[in-house]
This record gives sequence, C-alpha cells and structure tokens, in this order.
Amino acid sequence: MNKAGQELTAQVWNLAELLDRVDNDQELLRDLLNIFKEDFPRTMRSLESAVAAADLKNTSRLSHTLKGMLSSLGGTRAAAAAAKLEVLATAGETTSLKGALDALGHEAATLVPELNAYMAEVHR
Amino acid sequence: MKILIADDEALSRRLLEKTLERAGYEVIAVENGKLAFEELCKPEGPRLALLDWVMPELDGPGVCRAVRVRSEQTYVYMVLLTSKGTKEETVLGLESGADDYLTKPFNAEELRARLRVGERILLLEDRLVEARENMRFRATHDPLTSLLNRGAVMDLLTRELHRSHREQRSTAIILGDVDHFKRVNDTLGHLVGDEVLMEIANRLLGAVRSYDFVGRYGGEEFLVVLNSCDPAFAPTRAEEIRVAISHRPIQTAKGPLSLTMSAGLLLSSEWGMKSLEELLHQVDNALYEAKSAGRDCLRIARPALKAEPLPAPLPQSVRLRH
Repeated sequence: MNKAGQELTAQVWNLAELLDRVDNDQELLRDLLNIFKEDFPRTMRSLESAVAAADLKNTSRLSHTLKGMLSSLGGTRAAAAAAKLEVLATAGETTSLKGALDALGHEAATLVPELNAYMAEVHR
Repeated sequence: MKILIADDEALSRRLLEKTLERAGYEVIAVENGKLAFEELCKPEGPRLALLDWVMPELDGPGVCRAVRVRSEQTYVYMVLLTSKGTKEETVLGLESGADDYLTKPFNAEELRARLRVGERILLLEDRLVEARENMRFRATHDPLTSLLNRGAVMDLLTRELHRSHREQRSTAIILGDVDHFKRVNDTLGHLVGDEVLMEIANRLLGAVRSYDFVGRYGGEEFLVVLNSCDPAFAPTRAEEIRVAISHRPIQTAKGPLSLTMSAGLLLSSEWGMKSLEELLHQVDNALYEAKSAGRDCLRIARPALKAEPLPAPLPQSVRLRH
C-alpha cells in the first residue's frame, strides 16, 4: 500500500488512537467491538426508518448516538458523516437527509470490514 | 471513591467504566438522566459524576440543575461529557451547574486529570464542612464537659417551653449545683475539679433520655431540661437524676470522692406563659432553698407558695471525703 493509501486507511479507523484510549487493553477492545457489532446495525436500521419517515427529531437523536459510538471507537470518517447528518436533521434540512445517510452508510461499509478483520486477526 | 457515569450509549459507557475502574474508582453506571439523579440523591451516593449531555428521560444539564437545587446535601462535582463543543453549549452546560466540561471522544489521561481536580475540590469542601461543624460545636458547647453551654441550653429551653405550652404539656427544669465544690478545687486542685465536673456531666447525661437536654449553666451549676415530662413523675425523675451524682464515689487522680448535689425543680405547666428569666429565677430560688435546708436535697418551685420539701425521705447526705 502506498503512503496516500495508508493515510486514507488511518482516517477510516484510527486504531492507534483507540489503543491509546483503552490503554492497550485487548480484552476491553474486544468488548467494545462486540458492543459495536450488536448496537451499530440496530441503531443504523432505526436511523434509516427515521430518515425514510422524515422524522427529524429521531434522525437527530440517532445520528448523535452513532456519532458518539463511532468516534469513541476511532471511526473518524464515519463519525464525521454521522455528525453531518445530525446537523442537517437539527437544521430541518429534510431534503438532504437521504444523501447524508447514504454517505454514512458508505463510510460504515468501509469501516466495518476493517473492524471485522482486526477481530479475526486477534482471535487467531 | 465512588463515581457515577451516565451515558445512554453502551459503548461509551463501557469504555468509561473500564477507564475509571482502572484509575481506582468504584463505578456506578446508568443509562439515563433520571437514574443518574436518583443515584446522586442516595445518602451515601457518589459525589463525582460524569454525565453525558444527550440522554433520555433527563439530559446532562437537567441532572446538573436538579442536583444543584438540593442545597442541603453534600456537594457533587459534575463533569459534562459530550460531543457538543460550541462556546454557547459550553456556557449553557456550566450555567446549568456543571463544574467542568469534556468533549468526546475523551482522552483517558485528560479525563483522569480533570477528575483529580474534582477530588481536590471535594476534599476542600469536606475540610470546610468539618471546620464549620467544629466551630458550630465550639459555639454551643462547654469545652470542658462537652455539654451544651449556657447560651445553647437557654435557646433550646426557650423553644421547648413554647412547644410544651402549645401542646399543653409540661417541661421540667432542674437546676443542680454540686455541694461544696469549692473545697474540691481548694484542697485537691483545679485538675481534680475538672475531672469531677466531667464525670458529673457524664452521669447527668446517662440519667436522662436522649431527647432531654443537659447544659453547664455556670461553674458547678447544671441545667437539666426534661421535655414533655409528666408533672406527676417529675419530682421522682429529678430526684433520680440528682442522686446519680451521690450514689457512688467519683474516681479522680487523687482518689475517690463522694459528692452530692442540691437541686431546684420547676414544672412549666404550673407557671403558665412566664418569661424564661422569670422561670430560671424561680428555679434558682428553689435551689437556694435546697442549699439552705442543708444541701443534698431537692426543692420544687411552686407559684404563690414557698419552695416545699419533697414528701419522700431523702438519702442521707454524704460528706466530702479526701
């Protein structure tokens, strides 16, 4: 992988920052990834329903939750996408919600395989 | 030290929980603001709290406001932890009663350092409360015997007299004076005199109920207030309290001393709404009568009558031995 590619990967998932946050505790890291694996898809589904229903209040609340979850885990780019969706929902930008949700979905689709690969690696 | 974490998001909650456990805290983790407030209201609840801003039921600033309303409770140091980060939100968070503010995702080292600031503030608060309590005690208690001092016992007596008048009950006031106490000081020294006064204070306290008052009225004079005391039993109770001094010798550094106490008794129900000064004057007269009658006895102050002797036989006067 070239240098630019490495930087892009680091932005998707900032593992170094996360390891620092958990004091290199691999057991805690596994715990957090397991919580994420369970909570993220469920919250994402609720968010998709809220956007489809143009429910601004729940869109704002759920994207806020995802933003917290993703940033705690070092998912920098996905967290930024969730933050953008939260801002739009809070501002009442109904027409932009679908696009922002897709962007979040795209970032999540890039992040999740990296997390899964790491889990598979540490479990080996 | 206990710390409360309130965060509705499980991942952040777990991360905080583990980080703080590792830092030596006893962690209580809840998932909404209402539960956070309940935990903080418990008598032995945590005094350090990390509160997420956005939470169901009650948000972080809402918890801060609710906690700050209860002014009578011990101080809780609260840190708002949130991804919100504008100046307006920071001001809003601090105005709601939060002590500090940290943005997510947190840095573990910074979090621990900020919590140590909180612990220092709480320690300072503990010291202030302790100093205030010590000052309050010193202002209301006699330094030698730790009994209520004259001012404090008079204040309590005033309140008790109003209450007993309102509830049509009777308060018994006993003014006791240790017989020949001057001889103890003169012949055995003031240190022995102090020992005697401390033991008398203990005996008087041991002879009354938990809701009665005992105060040091003067040098060797003690004021005992029996709240809601049935007038029919008051003379017997007063006599028991008085005899608690003479029934066995007082152990001192210079040997055992047998001492007696003379006392005056007054029942508020027999005097109507008289002033405190008047009642104390009357019970003092009764004490004077007891002294004049040869000491080691009780006399009752009765309105329009002179102080009268007790009908029951009195214990034999015990002379001071040394």
